[in-house]
Amino acid sequence: MNVPRALTAAVHGVYGLRWLVLPPATAIAMFALLVGAVIAAPREIVEGEVQRLMYIHVPSALMTYLAFGITFVSSLIVLWKRDMRWDAAARASATVGVIFTAITLATGAIWGKPIWGVYWAWDARLTTTLVLFLIFSAYLLARAVAGPNDEQVARYAAVFAVIGALDIPLIHMSVSWWRTLHPQPIVFRPLDGPALPDEMLLVLMIGFGAIFLLVLWMTSLLTDAERLAQRTEALRARLDREDRG
Amino acid sequence: MSATLAVLRKDLRLAWRDRSGWLAAASFAAISVLTYSFAFDLAAQDVRPLLPGVLWTTFLFAGIFAGGQSFQREAEQGTFDAMLMAPVPASAIYFGKALSNMLALIVVEVALLLLATILFDTTLITADLILIVAVGTVGYVSLTTLLSTLGSRARARAVLLPALALPLLVPLLIAAVRATGASLGEPAGTAPWTLLLVVFALWSSVGAALLFPMVVER
Repeated sequence: MNVPRALTAAVHGVYGLRWLVLPPATAIAMFALLVGAVIAAPREIVEGEVQRLMYIHVPSALMTYLAFGITFVSSLIVLWKRDMRWDAAARASATVGVIFTAITLATGAIWGKPIWGVYWAWDARLTTTLVLFLIFSAYLLARAVAGPNDEQVARYAAVFAVIGALDIPLIHMSVSWWRTLHPQPIVFRPLDGPALPDEMLLVLMIGFGAIFLLVLWMTSLLTDAERLAQRTEALRARLDREDRG
Repeated sequence: MSATLAVLRKDLRLAWRDRSGWLAAASFAAISVLTYSFAFDLAAQDVRPLLPGVLWTTFLFAGIFAGGQSFQREAEQGTFDAMLMAPVPASAIYFGKALSNMLALIVVEVALLLLATILFDTTLITADLILIVAVGTVGYVSLTTLLSTLGSRARARAVLLPALALPLLVPLLIAAVRATGASLGEPAGTAPWTLLLVVFALWSSVGAALLFPMVVER
C-alpha cells in the first residue's frame, strides 16, 4: 500500500473528527483547569492568590509558539504548493497566536505588579514576546487590507510570516544582550524556583492540556471560517462576472 | 548580473531625474534630527549617549519612507509586470532595486552624519562609523525593499510599511545603536554587536533575495 497516501488519508480522517472531539474535550479540560486553578490548587504562601494566574499564563505562552508554528508551516506550504486552503490555516493560527500572546502579556503584567512591583520589565523574554506580538499583529493588519482570495497578498503575507518566524532567534539574542547592560529587576520566575508541589504541578499540566485543546479548537474553527469567507468571496466574484457577461 | 546592473542603472537614473522623492527623504532626515535636538535638548549636554539612537531611528524612518516608493511608480505605470516578463531571474531584479535604494540611502546617511558632525561638534565621519552605517543599511534596506512590494495594493501602504518593517528590524536597531555608540566611545557591553549587525545583514539579504521571486510571482 502507498504509504504517503495512507498517511494523508489517516490525517484527513483524524481532521474530520475535529467537531466531534475538540468541543467536548476542550470544554471538559477548560472546566477542569478553572476548578483546579481557582479551587483545588493550594494558595501560594509568598505570592498569594495572584499566583493562580500561572496556570493560564505559562500554558498560553507555550501554546503561542504552537500557533505561530502552525502559521510558519502553513505559510511555507502556501509558498510551495500555492494552495489557498493553507492560507486560511495561516491566517487562523496567526489570529489565535496573537490572541494568546496578548493573554500572556496581560496575565504577566497583572501578576508582575504585585510580585515585581511593576507591570512591565524589559526582560529578554518579555521583550521578545512583545516583539512577536507586534510582528504578527502587523501580519494580520497586512491581511486586513485585502480580500480573502487575494493570492498576491496571501503570498506576501506568507513571506512576511516566514521572515518573522526566522527573525525570532535574532530578536531574542539581541534583546538578551541589550538587557545585560542594564540593572535587572529582581525576577522570580514561577518555574525557576523550588520545584512545584504536586498539586500545583498537576493543575499546571491540566492547564497545558486545556490551552492546547483550546488553541487547536480555535484554530480549526477560524480556519473553517476563513475557508467559508474564501468561498463566499469566490461566489460573489462569479456572480459579478455573470451579471456583466 | 547584467540584469541587476540594468535595473540599478535605470533606478538611479530615474532617481536622479525626479529628485523629489529622495530630496524629500533627505529633508525628512534633517528635520528629524533637528526635532530630536529640540525634544531632548541635545545641544546642552553630552550628546554621545543619545546620538546613536537619534541617528538610527532617523535612518530607519527615512529608509522606510523612501524605500516604499521603490515599487510604487512601477506598479502605477505597469512597468513592473513588464520587468517580470523579462527572461531574467526575479532575484536579479530584486538586487538591482535593493542596490539602488542602498546607494541613495547611503548618500542621505553620510549627508546626515555630516550635518550632525557640524551641529553637535562630534566627529562622525570616521572609517568604522561609515562601515557600521553601510552594513546596517544593507541589513534594513534588504528587508524594506522586499516589504515595499506591497506597493500597488494599498492606500494603507504608508501606514502599513513601518508597522511591518520595524518589529522585524528590532535586532538590527539594537545592534546598530550599540555598535555606533561603541565607536563613539560609549560603553556598549561585551556583546559582539558588529558581528550581530553583519549576521543580520547577511540573513536579511539572502532571505529577501530567496523570497522575493515568490512574492512577485503572478
